[in-house]
Amino acid sequence: MTIEKRPNATADKNAPTQAPSEAPLAAPGAGPKLPGPPGVPGTERFRLLAYVKQESMVRVDKRPDETVLTWPHLLRAEFVMLMLMTALLVVVSAFIRAPLEEMANPVITPHVAKAPWYFLGLQELLSYFNATVAGVLVIPVYLGGLMLIPFIDRTPYRAARDRKLMWVFFLCLMIGGLIITFIGSFFRGPSWQWVWPWEGLFFTL
Amino acid sequence: MTQHTSYGEVHGPRAGEISRRGFMRRMLGIGTGILSLQFLGGTIAFLWPNVTEGLGAEITLGTAEDINSAAPDWAQGLPYIYNPARLFVVNVPAGKARVAQESGGAVEAEASLPVPDPGEDVLALWRKCPHLGCQVPQLCEFSQWFECLCHGSQYTILGEYRAGPAPRGMDRFPMRLDGDVYIVDTREVESGPPPGTVTFDDREPGDMQHCAG
Amino acid sequence: MSDGSGNRMTRWLKESTVWRSLFRHGVPRDRRTRVMAVMSNVFLHLHPVAVRKSGIRLSFTWCMGGLTFFLFLAEVVSGVLLMFYYRPVIEYAYQDIQDLRAHVTLGILREIHRWGAHAMIISIWLHMMRVFLTGSYKPPREFNWIVGVFLLVLTMLLSFTGYLLPWDQLAIWAITVGTQMALYAPLAGPESSFLILGGIEIGQGTLLRFYVAHVVLFPLVTAILLIVHFWRIRKDGGISGPV
Repeated sequence: MTIEKRPNATADKNAPTQAPSEAPLAAPGAGPKLPGPPGVPGTERFRLLAYVKQESMVRVDKRPDETVLTWPHLLRAEFVMLMLMTALLVVVSAFIRAPLEEMANPVITPHVAKAPWYFLGLQELLSYFNATVAGVLVIPVYLGGLMLIPFIDRTPYRAARDRKLMWVFFLCLMIGGLIITFIGSFFRGPSWQWVWPWEGLFFTL
Repeated sequence: MTQHTSYGEVHGPRAGEISRRGFMRRMLGIGTGILSLQFLGGTIAFLWPNVTEGLGAEITLGTAEDINSAAPDWAQGLPYIYNPARLFVVNVPAGKARVAQESGGAVEAEASLPVPDPGEDVLALWRKCPHLGCQVPQLCEFSQWFECLCHGSQYTILGEYRAGPAPRGMDRFPMRLDGDVYIVDTREVESGPPPGTVTFDDREPGDMQHCAG
Repeated sequence: MSDGSGNRMTRWLKESTVWRSLFRHGVPRDRRTRVMAVMSNVFLHLHPVAVRKSGIRLSFTWCMGGLTFFLFLAEVVSGVLLMFYYRPVIEYAYQDIQDLRAHVTLGILREIHRWGAHAMIISIWLHMMRVFLTGSYKPPREFNWIVGVFLLVLTMLLSFTGYLLPWDQLAIWAITVGTQMALYAPLAGPESSFLILGGIEIGQGTLLRFYVAHVVLFPLVTAILLIVHFWRIRKDGGISGPV
């Protein structure tokens, strides 16, 4: 990119005041150089407005993203999803009963005592480690780690190909969590012993 | 220092001094802070449960005779289950003798059965498993240990940790003798002894048959 | 009524001051009225008037954030309805839940509430996955990611406190195990358990505490954080689009 700095300040200062009194642009080259019609050699003048770094130049070639109106495009999508979800909820609720066991009795412990399913991964972890270690490690580190992600991953890239390490790390964490939740849900029975799902399902939603 | 016609001389705070405005601002901040802390403290104090009966209060169990008539096996060493507070009331000398007898000589004990009145030597163990809070069932008939069926934690008759995922022995409450009446103070939970505490019954989990785990 | 008078009625109605105070623009058929419709309605105004086409593609957004919000609303509606029949007292709670199934017309409301709650946890989790995988937590959206983590925790707390309310064996033992696990966290001692459970162990105090937290405290905090969450989306440049 070629940028020509303006020659000196005085010429520029004089330019607007002198322009009306001078003869019109019929004779280029006479008098101080004035902004001329584009394409006429010798009449353009340049001025440095901003210095654009090389790497951000790519953006210039890119066309701005195509936008659509919220009404109807986004609202239609939201409405369809809302309807589908409502239908799904009602159908599922009509056919699958919510579990209800006998009335609570603090004196009788069931043989299988499991936390709600979203905590079963944690419960599974607690059975591996010394409880304090797992408690200290899992809850604060997991939640704190989640919150700190934007501050750990400081690269400006958003595309997957530029963040392979973060992707792998995060997916390992998430899939690991899924797997232990799955084990805690379906593979653990009385006394937290390993049970294959076909030997008995000790899981209630 | 600037001379202004209408305001006279304007000068900032001298070095080491704080301006009036700065002082007010700081006081306002401190006041807001104190107020927030008071609000938080008051909320917690208001929500703090004051238990007056059942678990969380002083519980009168009765005399040794009362317990014996409620649970005839108590003198034979079987812990007495006191349901209103979910307690095992352990007759320690009789319990030790029972374990010694059932273990076939692997454990030794001083007393011999029955022990109808253990005097001061009584333990109030909380049946809530220190692992994840399940209810610990009565002594396992094979091992003479307390074995939690939920996740397989195992404790001796004194509530000392032996095996499983629990972080410590069974929690307990202070027990005192008022004349000859046993009174359990459940206002404060005493944490169970740390793993590795062996004052009695040093059998390994592999030595015998178990109910759980 | 003939057609003519019907049209006249409609015209009269539409020209009346009342109608025009309610609807400030015509039917959203052209670009101008559609923009007006979004701008002049407080609820639709959550959205910008125009969005990036690539940003609302289903394969990009998975619709999970919106679905989570919808499920939250569904939980609020069904939850308020359930409150008309439920008493948080250990003598009545279980019976009330049974009656909800047996004696209440359209007795599937408890099911809707429960399955909706499970669905909400799944959808908020998927939403978090999507936001991570598309890098949508990058500046200037870091703060909103943190708000999102808080919302995730609140969703779990809402579900967890609701789990106890049926007061059946499943409920109290799951909550026993769950609270005990939470107490393994550092700084959480027997005192915090005492405060949360309203006693040394789960009982009437716990039921009432969990109930109030479930129907008032956590929904309120969640709603406030949702406002912040949505506001920040708009302020941080709208919904993020693909790179």
